[in-house]
Parts: sequence; structure tokens; C-alpha cells
Amino acid sequence: MKIESTFKIKKGLAEMLKGGVIMDVVNAEQAVIAEKSGAVAVMALERIPADIRAEGGVARMSSVETIQEVIDSVSIPVMAKARIGHFVEAQMLESLGIDFIDESEVLTPADDKNHIYKHDIKTPFVNGATDIGEACRRIGEGAAMIRTKGEAGTGNVIEAVKHMRSMTDGINKIKTSDQNELMSLAKEIRAPFDVVKEIHELGKLPVVNFAAGGIATPADAALMMQLGCDGVFVGSGIFKSGDPKERAEAIVIATTNYNDPDKLIEVSKNLGEPMVGINIDDLDEAEKLAKRGW
Amino acid sequence: MKTGVLALQGSFYDHVQSLEFIDQDYVLIKDTSDLSHVNSLILPGGESTSMIKIQENNDLFSELKKLIESGIPTLGTCAGLILLAKDVIDGETSLGVLNTVVERNAYGRQNQSFEGLVNLLGNKEMYCFIRAPKILSYEDSVTPIATIDNEVVGVIENNIVGLSFHPELTNDKNYLDWLSNFIKDGVNVRSL
Repeated sequence: MKIESTFKIKKGLAEMLKGGVIMDVVNAEQAVIAEKSGAVAVMALERIPADIRAEGGVARMSSVETIQEVIDSVSIPVMAKARIGHFVEAQMLESLGIDFIDESEVLTPADDKNHIYKHDIKTPFVNGATDIGEACRRIGEGAAMIRTKGEAGTGNVIEAVKHMRSMTDGINKIKTSDQNELMSLAKEIRAPFDVVKEIHELGKLPVVNFAAGGIATPADAALMMQLGCDGVFVGSGIFKSGDPKERAEAIVIATTNYNDPDKLIEVSKNLGEPMVGINIDDLDEAEKLAKRGW
Repeated sequence: MKTGVLALQGSFYDHVQSLEFIDQDYVLIKDTSDLSHVNSLILPGGESTSMIKIQENNDLFSELKKLIESGIPTLGTCAGLILLAKDVIDGETSLGVLNTVVERNAYGRQNQSFEGLVNLLGNKEMYCFIRAPKILSYEDSVTPIATIDNEVVGVIENNIVGLSFHPELTNDKNYLDWLSNFIKDGVNVRSL
């Protein structure tokens, strides 16, 4: 007897990615560099977030050709992004045989009120969240993995730190609340009651939680790991830097050895220029991607 | 004495949880310096390409190989099985201590991943196969210990056990009882 794509199987792939680095790539060449550098998965994109930010316009799901090219070039899991609420892009990614779908605020949202109902799609989903309420809503819709939103394409880690701390505070609040308080708490954070109850019982999120959005250096990755995330996504930080291969390898080693400053020093030597960052205060409100998501 | 759990990447905390259930002391292995006082080993699920890359500059796998060849009980699940196998199709051979030919991702991509009813040493349980490796063949010195629909998905050779699936995500009583005995006695434990 075999049953495909149960929620346990969806969550299970995320469990296998723990302690690893997932890298944004735009073509087969970058995907191969990522795999050889020790990435646990790649995210196939049309443009990396820093370029989406610079060029503007509507950002959509990658072209079928790009996704197919990346799938064919590597043996590790391949992820791809669908627009928030765009369930047809998700259906297409499912049919393309993608291993994980990121319903991502980095792309221009397709629905201003609703996210995708994710239970009906065989492929597991990862969703961004800025706090515990948002994480619970996404899990309620069927997300099998959560990541902090951070502020993608900035090379600035402050927002990822803010979201991670906010998530931890939220989990602690649920964990330490009396069970009589859970419904009121669920109402306050606009979260489905059963997810809140599950977090109360487990003492942690029921799915894996990665950090994303602004991680540019080995030290940034280690910082996020020490703050309690399960692994990291690195977007623009690698292929917008001076020496992508060296930096990718260094971030992978740093994510494993996040508690070992000597190893972090060793891998941080001779990395070339990091990506040029953006100060969050210099962004207009409309440019902040983390605000997308409901 | 402690069970060493390879902790470069992957589901190592799930294995740690299994060990906590059976009150077994453990140490996370990230470096050769973590290997002292280890008398049994667990190689977790995850991405084998990533694990191989992470350890390549510090010689961890050559030390692990010596330790496994000294005969300590060693369990590899999914990616752990790939690390143990002597031959890997669509991947790289690393430790090469288990006389099997294994094919990476041979059950398909994530959409084909499944929970399946496995006969593990006579007990049936639903276990997770996640982009799982397939055991294509094995030498006479290797004994099957787990099957699904008559296909071999787990083997033992000397004190080395390799499984295509993830008992650490299920932690059923039969598995935990077996693990507890295996870690203490290794090869002498062939049945539950």
C-alpha cells in the first residue's frame, strides 16, 4: 500500500532540508554552481529579487523553459515561485514536477485578499510570514514549510531578524498561555484555532521554519540559525556578489557550523565583494515586499 | 558511550528525538573532534550531495569510514543509505562500506513521494519515502530486513543497516525497540 503526497510527506521534505541553504538561481549554469557548492535545493526564478526590485514591472512565475532547464540540470530538489493567490501558476508548477512551490511576496500578488488553498495541490508549499498569526494562517491553508519574509533583494538582514524574533515571541506566547486563553489569543492574532492549539501542544511550529530575505554573508546565515531558524534561503546575496561560488560554499559551511566563530572566520576570508545592500529606511512603503500577504 | 548522529544537514534532530525516546546518550557530529566516545552511529536523511560537500575540507568521512569499519552499529536512513552504499547511481559514492548498489531519487520527484506499508523485520508500519533512493542490488554478504510489495527497502551487512525510508519521522514502538537493541548489540539483533 502506497499513499502519495500526504501532509506528512509534504512536511517531510522540508524536514530533510533542515540545516541547509536554498539558493535562488535564474538558469542551469547557476543551478549547477549552487548544487556543487552544497545547496540542499535551488529556487528557479526568472529574475533574482534585487533585479526585480531594480527593474520594477509585474513579476510573475518563471518561464516554463527556465524551470525545465533548472530541473534538468541538477539532482537536488527544485523549488519555484507562484504569485500570491495565483492557483493556476501553482497547478502548472505541480504539473511541471517542481518539488516545492513558494507562494511568494517577491512576485506581484495576483489576489489582494486570498492566498492559494494549498491542501489540494500535491506539491508542498512554503510561505513567507512576518509573525506568528500570518504563519498560522498559511499553515491553515496547507503550507508545509514557513520562512521569514525579511526584505528580499536588499542584502539587509534586519527585517529577517525582526520577523524571526517576532515569530519566536509569538510561539512563546502560545506555548505559555493557559488553554482557556487560546481561543481569545487565536482571535487576537487572526489565526485558525486548531493551528494555535497544535503549537500550544507541540511547543513549536508544526512545520519547519527557515529564514529568508536579506541574507548576504556567512555571518548573516549563522545569525539566523542562532536565532532559531531551521535553515536559510539566500536569494540575491550569492549571484549578486563578487565571487558567487566561494560565497555559496561559505554560506553552506556557516549554516552547519553556526555556533563555531573560528569556522565562521575561516570561511569568511577572501570572499570578494558582498552584494551592495539597501538601507530599509530608504525604501518607499510601496517598495516593501514583506507587506504583501494577507 | 554515546551514539554519534551526523549533523551536517538534514533530519538529525528527528533521530535525536528517537534516541531521547529510548534514553540513549548522543553527540552531534560536525567535525572529526566529535567522534571520540562514539560507539554507534546514525547517518540521517537529507541531501547527500550537500553533506558530502560540507565535510570535504575536514576529512570527516575518512574518519567515519574507519569507525564504521571497526564494526560499531551504524544506521543510515535515506541520504544516510546513499552515504553508506558502495555504488551510487546518479550520485557520488562516499563512505562505500555497504555492499549495495543504490540509485538516488529512483522513486521519483517529490510529487511521487509516498507513505508506504513496510515490512520491517516482520512488523508492518507506514513509513515515509521522500525522494527516496532505491536498493537496486546487493551482494551475498547483505541480508534484506525491510520490504514493500516484495521490493527490498532495507538491508543489513555486518553491523551496518541502510534503509530507503524514514523511521525517524514515525518513531513507532517496534522501530524504537529495535533501535535500542541494535545500538547496544548490533548484528546480534536480527529480529524484533
